[in-house]
Amino acid sequence: MVHQHFSLVPELTVLENLCLGSGWRRFDRARERARMAATAERFAIDVPFDALVETLSVGERQKVEILRCLVQGPEIVVLDEPTAVLPPGEIDALLGLIRRMAETGKAILLVTHKLAEIERVADRITVLRRGRVTLQAAGREVGRKALASAIVGDAAAGIEMTAGRGSRRIVRRQSGVAVPPAALMLDGIVLLDRLGSRRVDNLTLIVAAGEIVGVAGVEGNGQSELALALSGLMPFAGGRYFVADTELTAATPAMVSAAGVGVIPEDRHALGCILGMAVDENIFLGALAEYRLGPFVNRKAMRQATGELIQRFDIRCEGPTAPFASLSGGNQQKVVLAREITLNTRRLLVAAQPTRGLDIGATRTTYGHIQSAARDGAGVLLVSSELDDLMAICDRIVVMYRGRIIGEQAAGAYDRAALGGLMAGHA
Amino acid sequence: MELARILRRASTSSAGAVLIALLAGLLLMAVLAPSLPNALAAFARGAFGTTYAVGASVNRAAVLALVGLGFILAFRANLTNIGGEGQLAMGGMVAAAVALKTDVAGLPFGLAIVLPALAGACAGGLWAGLAGWLRVRRGTNEVISTLLLSFIALWLVYWSVHSDALLRQPRTSATSLPESADIPNGAMIGMLVPPMHQGIVVVILLVALVHLTMTRTVWGMRLQAIGLNAASAKRAGLSIPRLTIGAMLASGALAGLAGAFMIQGEQYNLKAGFSSGYGIDGLVVGLLARGSAPTVLVFALLFGFLRSGGIGMEIGAGVPSAVVLTLQGLVILAVAGMEFLRLRQARSLP
Amino acid sequence: MTDTILVVLAASTIRLAIPLLFAALGELVSEKAGLLNLSLEGMMLAAAFGGALGCFASGSPFVGLVVALACSTLVAGLQGLFSIVLRANQIVSGIGLNIAVLGLTTIGARALFGRDAGFTIPGFGKLAIPGFSDLPFFGPVLFAQSGFVYAAPAVALLMALLLYRTTPGLALRAAGDEPRAVDKSGASIAAIRWLAILVTGLAAGLGGAVYSLADIHTFTENMTSGAGYLALAAVIFGRWRVVGTIVASLVFGAAASLQFQLPALGVDFLPPALLIMMPYVLALLAVSGLVGRQSPPRALALPFHR
Repeated sequence: MVHQHFSLVPELTVLENLCLGSGWRRFDRARERARMAATAERFAIDVPFDALVETLSVGERQKVEILRCLVQGPEIVVLDEPTAVLPPGEIDALLGLIRRMAETGKAILLVTHKLAEIERVADRITVLRRGRVTLQAAGREVGRKALASAIVGDAAAGIEMTAGRGSRRIVRRQSGVAVPPAALMLDGIVLLDRLGSRRVDNLTLIVAAGEIVGVAGVEGNGQSELALALSGLMPFAGGRYFVADTELTAATPAMVSAAGVGVIPEDRHALGCILGMAVDENIFLGALAEYRLGPFVNRKAMRQATGELIQRFDIRCEGPTAPFASLSGGNQQKVVLAREITLNTRRLLVAAQPTRGLDIGATRTTYGHIQSAARDGAGVLLVSSELDDLMAICDRIVVMYRGRIIGEQAAGAYDRAALGGLMAGHA
Repeated sequence: MELARILRRASTSSAGAVLIALLAGLLLMAVLAPSLPNALAAFARGAFGTTYAVGASVNRAAVLALVGLGFILAFRANLTNIGGEGQLAMGGMVAAAVALKTDVAGLPFGLAIVLPALAGACAGGLWAGLAGWLRVRRGTNEVISTLLLSFIALWLVYWSVHSDALLRQPRTSATSLPESADIPNGAMIGMLVPPMHQGIVVVILLVALVHLTMTRTVWGMRLQAIGLNAASAKRAGLSIPRLTIGAMLASGALAGLAGAFMIQGEQYNLKAGFSSGYGIDGLVVGLLARGSAPTVLVFALLFGFLRSGGIGMEIGAGVPSAVVLTLQGLVILAVAGMEFLRLRQARSLP
Repeated sequence: MTDTILVVLAASTIRLAIPLLFAALGELVSEKAGLLNLSLEGMMLAAAFGGALGCFASGSPFVGLVVALACSTLVAGLQGLFSIVLRANQIVSGIGLNIAVLGLTTIGARALFGRDAGFTIPGFGKLAIPGFSDLPFFGPVLFAQSGFVYAAPAVALLMALLLYRTTPGLALRAAGDEPRAVDKSGASIAAIRWLAILVTGLAAGLGGAVYSLADIHTFTENMTSGAGYLALAAVIFGRWRVVGTIVASLVFGAAASLQFQLPALGVDFLPPALLIMMPYVLALLAVSGLVGRQSPPRALALPFHR
């Protein structure tokens, strides 16, 4: 099995990595090298055996990973989103390799959401959505449209949220009226991951005050990195980031919050909260300046304010001082929401997968709060892989694929199938 | 209530660890002593048999408590400061230097005592702060850096008392030892009940202060935040570099003050190796206390009396005080081992 | 005149560096596998004690050596129990073992050797290699040392071969950087680390035995007095490479020998304390990345949970 996250040891050479796990035999370099070379040749994989893995590009590392898998002579090879990290040039090489592997009699299971690749190599296709099979057919027979709709599903299974849309204040250009600065302006931003791959590639986006812009796309196309960068946690390798009039390209998280940006992070346990602390502490950790009596924490005021938020956001917990870890997932998310919307969000709210893991009720209230934030004048950037939700509340939807925006639709003209196709890479 | 919480904390793994080690120690004593009751009597005498013994034990406890407090403060921010011995040494050395080489002795209002002590605290603080800076700027693991700095500090003290240009006492005869001169009377900490000096009052105040700081202040809460989840804390706007260095500065300052107390309160001059393992013991006290300042005091007293008892046992019954040393080692091992049980327990909870 | 001084310096450099070398190379193997053994000091001290004990009881230094190795391996085994099986904090358990070993060896020395401060045991004498030992300079420096010195290059070579030319060595190096990768490939991290720590125990035992069986033929309380920590510093300064560790040990040995010889040379301005602390300063510079780039194994001191 070839995973998305490689398990190679960077400090060792390719050959050494390939030989890991060959038991307690004496390490006969020559013999192992010959064995590896033979397999590599059979599949026409070209890797430098004596190079340190840390010097290799992502594509080359993947080749090593695949070779390691093949050397064991498996009957079935499973590849999990193999092209997620590859630049376009290397995808062809990989697909060629996959076909060669199949030609030698191996069964290949390719897990991917990229339509283009499916079309090129798949003999048979199975589509899974929400844990169920929605399509099973021979590769050549299925058209793009059918594929796309199998992936994103049919309409109407999602949230009905028609109310409230009309009353939002979307500032439109009117002659003679001063236009307030955009809530968010991203100009050609580039984000790189640890290995140097471009996760966000020259992205430009503008969100007006009061507008809800949805970012659709299958996870792994740069949305996570985008949200991190907007929080000030990831450096920009290129481009500029503005909120209202303030440039935040090199801002720290504190500066970002001070500029009026609230962020609901994708992984709330890693970034959104501190499990070992209480609810009130989690909410006001960043705002202690306002809740202090000299050097001391003003616990009473904190508890009181937390109590109000608990009411307003319907958070089910034992009280303001309840340990955060004792709350259910949905209520934890409500705490994060409460904090970000009331404390930080003045100009912009970035919500990354905000309803993940929430039940229908919690989802509804979450979107309700997001909409009211927009009503109060903030711009909202809503990143979600739930197309239905996006279509229900966004004024605009852009689709991210491989770190770029490859398409956009406006409310009132949403075409589900087209969006699905965009999400799967079909521009 | 506070007391209940303290007792509950002490009664979990740490107390269990100490108990196991004490039993093992008793076994050792039984093996080594010609007569166990004799040995135990000598131990008791040495620990609290006379006012002198009690006073000496309390003095020791004061030093251990300070180092332990420093340890738990840094640990709250998930920083493991094992350089207490070195920070203590730096503190003692600088306190002695200020007392000897400047004119503090003549100052009124007790400044003659306070200034060297403060200088010692600063020295210890900077020594630990250096490790904090290295962590922030170069990513150096503070365990390694505080350990190495500890050795460096010990040899700096050695150098200072061997060098005539630094702190060595004037060589009036061929047999004058490489030590510093005695510090002026004005710089010596006053006595409560000799030999117990007033430093213990300061220590009790500091226990309360550290406890308050960690549980009720903004700074304490921020330290806790970065200790639990640095990424989220950063997201919330906390400055990790500033808090890290701050925690290390405070941690080292407490150990430095302990060194000053040793010099100004007990020994009255500087000798090489004066720290004789107090830093390590203080570290153990900190570990056992599991983050609670009042518990630090409890274990500091325990270890202080243990040490005195060990010495008494050696003098009175011929049982080597190394038994106490071994006991301490066993306590540490028991704590390390208990951690495993606690983790296993924690992980099996839903 | 200067000739003799140089010879003495060089000879004592080697003599003082050898125990560090053994211990440091042994520790290198452990750290490459991800284990940090602060108890290295305890292992060496236990070996010094065991060596003296065995030799005292049997009259033969070879028996002493065997007992020394057994003692240090026992301590290593205990450290392994804490680090690998219990997954306890490696720093805390290391310090605990050091203190416990110090206490026990002190008690043991008093009990078994009595208050006789000057007792001696027949130890290993210097082995002059005929012919070579008459060479000018290199003769006394390299060929008139104790047997341990001659064993050192062999041990070093063995370690290097183990780490870089065998499959277990490969797995060992990977275990210190990416234990998950090794675990996935089917090898057992626990087994690898046990192998590593036992190697460390044996090597540290050789180093510790030098003190009581070769250097001074007796045992004194806390005989190793920090040599274990110096060896740890040598691994850091040597940047976790075999050659680097050897060089570091030699440099530290030189510092130690200078510390004794400088006063004899009449060099007053350089305080011996400065030389003693130099190894630690060097190690600190190395670990702060102010001297060179190589960094420690990424999984160092982190307990492995599946």
